[in-house]
Amino acid sequence: MPDEPNFGDEGNKGAENAGKMSRRNFLKDAGLAAGAPAVLGGAMAISAPPDAEAAQPYNARAVPVASEAVCASGMATVTLTVNGDKYTQAVEPHWTLRQLLRDRLGFTSPKDWCGGMGACGSCTVIMNGRPVLSCMTLACECGGAVVETAEGIAKAGHPLIQAYIDHNAFQCGYCTPGFVVSAKALLDRNADPTEEDVRDALGGNLCRCATYQQHPPAVLQAAKALPEFQKRSGGEPKPSKGARA
Amino acid sequence: MKTWKKFAHVDAKTAEEAAAILKSGRAALIAGGTDLLGTLRFEILPTHPETVVNLKADPFLDYIKEYGGALRIGALTRLEDIARSALVKERYAALGEAAHRTATPHIREMGTIGGNICQLPRCWYFRTPDNRFNCVRKGGGQCFAMSGDNRYHSIFGAVKSCLAVNPGDLAPALVALDAKIHTNRRTIEAERFWDVAFPGSTVLADDEIVMEVQVPAPPEGAKSAFLKFAVRKSIDFPVVNCAALVDKAGGTARICLNAVHGKPYRAARAEAAAADALKGNSTAEEAAEAAGAAAVAEARALPGDRNKWKIQIARTLAKRAVLACLR
Repeated sequence: MPDEPNFGDEGNKGAENAGKMSRRNFLKDAGLAAGAPAVLGGAMAISAPPDAEAAQPYNARAVPVASEAVCASGMATVTLTVNGDKYTQAVEPHWTLRQLLRDRLGFTSPKDWCGGMGACGSCTVIMNGRPVLSCMTLACECGGAVVETAEGIAKAGHPLIQAYIDHNAFQCGYCTPGFVVSAKALLDRNADPTEEDVRDALGGNLCRCATYQQHPPAVLQAAKALPEFQKRSGGEPKPSKGARA
Repeated sequence: MKTWKKFAHVDAKTAEEAAAILKSGRAALIAGGTDLLGTLRFEILPTHPETVVNLKADPFLDYIKEYGGALRIGALTRLEDIARSALVKERYAALGEAAHRTATPHIREMGTIGGNICQLPRCWYFRTPDNRFNCVRKGGGQCFAMSGDNRYHSIFGAVKSCLAVNPGDLAPALVALDAKIHTNRRTIEAERFWDVAFPGSTVLADDEIVMEVQVPAPPEGAKSAFLKFAVRKSIDFPVVNCAALVDKAGGTARICLNAVHGKPYRAARAEAAAADALKGNSTAEEAAEAAGAAAVAEARALPGDRNKWKIQIARTLAKRAVLACLR
């Protein structure tokens, strides 16, 4: 993705997206345009970063920082790869990976639902080949990590995305990125899963709309389309890096 | 959304380095983080660590090997790796199944065996955010579960006045398999490991770190099994779980229930009953039935009978675990 290093931050996509209106862009623009607070109060509340301590507009860019000065004040600098691009960011010791991805780097697919208890799976990302909960991973321990979010999976054109659309495997969609990432981690490890494997791998993801029945057929359909996708994308997806031999 | 109380974060390269920081008593050790970060974020303990020490930079604590007649698992080995290990599944079935049935796939990919055996109890009074119930485990005067909602609490009485149960899935498997926990100071038998030092759930000192779990190879022909009952099969902590190791030829059995007491409950009576039945002419079903009944012979529901249902589950799990080993 060298032509689009800021992927994940829809607001900065530039000419290609000019004129396109998405829900998130609308909310962001509305939130930043403080001109009409009475009308857009609700939208503003949604667009504000949920973590007050990391308060910064969504489309603030990650910039390399002078590490020494920052470390002295209790912060650490981490460099990690997200969806193929490298980011360097100063983080506080108590920041989670989810905070870093959402509030600093603009990758909004890891959702916060259960409040950081590791109970819902909505914040799942693939880190070094393992599906992990970004709400229970300290950002400062992610130096050198290779992270993949639902944005990266969608951008690569992974068959999971079309399969989820074909099977209507969502209703409100809030939990969907977590499910897709968990399913991608399964397919990376096991390209030909059984229905039982799928149920097992998605067992940690909650869906309040109860779309559970649609997920196994969607993932199995994606598994069928996997060889063609791998041929098309030249060997992708790679085998899990963190998996034990 | 709850904001975090701050702490410093240190990457220790060796266990000695980590122990030196932990010695102050104002530091906490982080492995997978799935238990620790919850306790820190919700400030469930009266004290908050100044420093979180990360030992994950040490690459030599993540391994599964078998030598010297024992399976050796490094403290930082992820539960999912244990669950998928062909070696573990083949010869240490109870441990493999226990690792597989722990929490969710994501937590198994993060959580380590060292962290899992050191986790704090899940009692809802103990876990209430902001330490709103300063219970006996935290140095307070009473156990709130005694008069409160205790449907998931101990059926074998209190440990030092605390009714919380040990919620671990690996713990009963390790006790049934007669494992040893090797720390940076000593080697502790699994049975002694959870003799609690409040508010923690283990005997470990502040600066003691689990390094390795050693499981002796079961006798030839012996079989082990692990069973778990949880409200939601794919996610929850156990209501009751049970691990058993039965050597049919040798006529011995080791049976351990968990989530029924403050520490894993080794069912000595059930072991004796199973052994007697095996030496006699009983069928597998009769031996299992006898073991199940004996396992809960000393169980008592708390006043109000809210946790009485767990006794029946414990009895059935013990029975089925023995039966699974005899098949």
